[in-house]
Amino acid sequence: MKTNRQNDGNDDAILKDSPYFLSENTDVKTALLKDDSETKILRALLERPGFSIRARLALGFLLFFALSVGITITAYIALNHMERKLIFLEVADLFTNEIQQARRYEKNFFLYGSDISNVLEHIDIADQLLDSARSELVSVVGEKNMRTMESHLSKYKKLVIKINTLSIDQESSELPEYKEIAEELRSHGTEMLSFAIDMSRKERDKVNDMIRVAKMAPVVFSIIIFLLMLYETNFLARHIIRRLNRLMEATQRVANGDFTPIMPHRRFRDEFTNLAVAMNSMMSQLMHRHEILVRSHKLRAVGTLTAGVAHELNNPINNIMLTSEMLKEDYSELSDEERLDMVSDLVSQAERARKIVSNLLDFARESEIEPELLDVGQIIRETLALVGNQLKLHNVKPQLDIAHNLSPVHGDKQHLSQVFFNLIMNAIDAMPEGGKLIINVSNSSFEASFLEVRISDTGKGIPEHLIGSIFDPFFTTKPTGKGTGLGLSVSMGIIRKHGGAIRVESKVGEGTSFSILLPISTVPAEIMHEKSQKNGE
Amino acid sequence: MSNKLRTLILDDESIVCKRLKPALEKSGYEVETFDNPTDALKRIDQEEFDIVVTDIRMDEIDGIQVLEHVLARSSRTRVIIITGYATVEMAREALAKGAFDFIAKPFKPNDLRAVIAKAAKELKSEK
Ligand SMILES: Nc1ncnc2c1ncn2[C@@H]1O[C@H](COP(=O)(O)OP(=O)(O)O)[C@@H](O)[C@H]1O
Ligand SMILES: [Mg+2]
Repeated sequence: MKTNRQNDGNDDAILKDSPYFLSENTDVKTALLKDDSETKILRALLERPGFSIRARLALGFLLFFALSVGITITAYIALNHMERKLIFLEVADLFTNEIQQARRYEKNFFLYGSDISNVLEHIDIADQLLDSARSELVSVVGEKNMRTMESHLSKYKKLVIKINTLSIDQESSELPEYKEIAEELRSHGTEMLSFAIDMSRKERDKVNDMIRVAKMAPVVFSIIIFLLMLYETNFLARHIIRRLNRLMEATQRVANGDFTPIMPHRRFRDEFTNLAVAMNSMMSQLMHRHEILVRSHKLRAVGTLTAGVAHELNNPINNIMLTSEMLKEDYSELSDEERLDMVSDLVSQAERARKIVSNLLDFARESEIEPELLDVGQIIRETLALVGNQLKLHNVKPQLDIAHNLSPVHGDKQHLSQVFFNLIMNAIDAMPEGGKLIINVSNSSFEASFLEVRISDTGKGIPEHLIGSIFDPFFTTKPTGKGTGLGLSVSMGIIRKHGGAIRVESKVGEGTSFSILLPISTVPAEIMHEKSQKNGE
Repeated sequence: MSNKLRTLILDDESIVCKRLKPALEKSGYEVETFDNPTDALKRIDQEEFDIVVTDIRMDEIDGIQVLEHVLARSSRTRVIIITGYATVEMAREALAKGAFDFIAKPFKPNDLRAVIAKAAKELKSEK
């Protein structure tokens, strides 16, 4: 408690500035209590790790960017790869062409003995082709395949040169060695050709595959982007909208007079946290204002009562005056018995006056909320006594019906008394021509564990279209100066704090009936007593 | 019958009746007291009183109704109204309706004696 004193300067100032600031001590104390829990909540709100919505958005878009860059790079690499393959295919086609040409001349040589140097010419061109595009080719078909190819080519070339030298001698074609070479030449030729064709076919297939994939890629990419965007939008929307909804609920609560601060719900702090903090501070301000309103309403009620009480006091004072005057006048002629009767009248009337005054003072007294076990029937009786004069003045007949086996209620006597007072005064106001005020106190018939106080009048009733507004602060149908429109809203606030509810039924021209439901205390009296003693320390 | 003035006092505060009866009897009036307006009205119907002192605010029947009832029965009866702090309006109404005078609570026996004496004087001069 003590450590908090320095940061309460603000709130004290607000209270002191207000014209309704009444009892300093109790208010400072409650302010201290409140601020303690308020700072706790504030700390809880702010001590979470921060993860702002801005950061979340940035992270989301960074992810998009990274994905796009990744896809661009992959596409670039894939296209490069494809380009090389296309170059390879071109070279492979030329190469195959040369080899085919060479083989055609080779055939002519064996069949018709034409010049074999043509074969060599084509083989050389093929060789040059392989050489010039070697690095590209290696990157496409790999070193091993390239080697095989080159070895086929060089062997073929060697054999052609060999056969060329042999064929200068006319007869050599008859030699077995010549035949052997020719055979080998043919086999190398076929192999080389089929290898080249095979390679280029395989690569063409690969290129086709790649093109197919390349055609699919944008579609797939679009789908992925779309899904990601859907997720991000949904996430953000849910995230933001849920927060907005929570804040909206909070404002709704405030409108209904519930000023409990917003508690942290999520793991991270973000921009909404600042809003929540601002709203919490607004609510605590509103609560202070509300308390001031409640107090000012009560002051008005006390004013109304004072007039009645002043009148009510006239009766015992008049009795005292008449009795004491007569006692003085006839003192010596009176018998002891008569004198005693007069003196006891004086005592009883003085007591009556004291009770009237203390009743009003009890009602007017400002005090901390001190929950205790209450006999609601007794509170009703006292409140009714307090307004007795108002009832008489307005020709309203009270009819009280209090059940016998009432359970106690845990709450604040003064506040409840104020609620009953407000409802009774409203009932009186609703019956300008007089009428009946019926008060029933019973254990609730529809809600077990609730006590019901029903205050009914035979007044003018409330039109249906106004019933929804009567609990709003400042709503009144009474002329200015008479109604404040605070009675029901203050009462609602008090009953809510007690965990109860107010219901209203009304029929225009027939009357209105307010039901107050209060939760029955299940805690045995002794424990309650101990508790309140501990709190007092 | 004596020529004492017949006076009726009606106030739902029984102590008022208890104290005023001897006080007024001492001053030479014949006094009947009632703390219940219904009984008082019954009695008024039976007998004509010279002076009626009534509280203006009572539970079932208020002082104005008593005033009207008394005057309807005998217009010469002087009706004195006892008023309180919040009933000045009603007292004014009572005067307009023919009440003789009013006296505000709290009062001393002598205050009432003075008002009644004034009424008695008027009654005498009428005769
Ligand atoms: N018993 C009732 N009968 C008819 N109308 C009522 C009754 N109680 C409340 N009302 C309506 O509700 C309004 C608000 O009541 P309240 O909050 O007590 O403020 P106020 O009494 O100052 O007008 C009243 O102005 C009146 O129109
Ligand atoms: Mg009201």
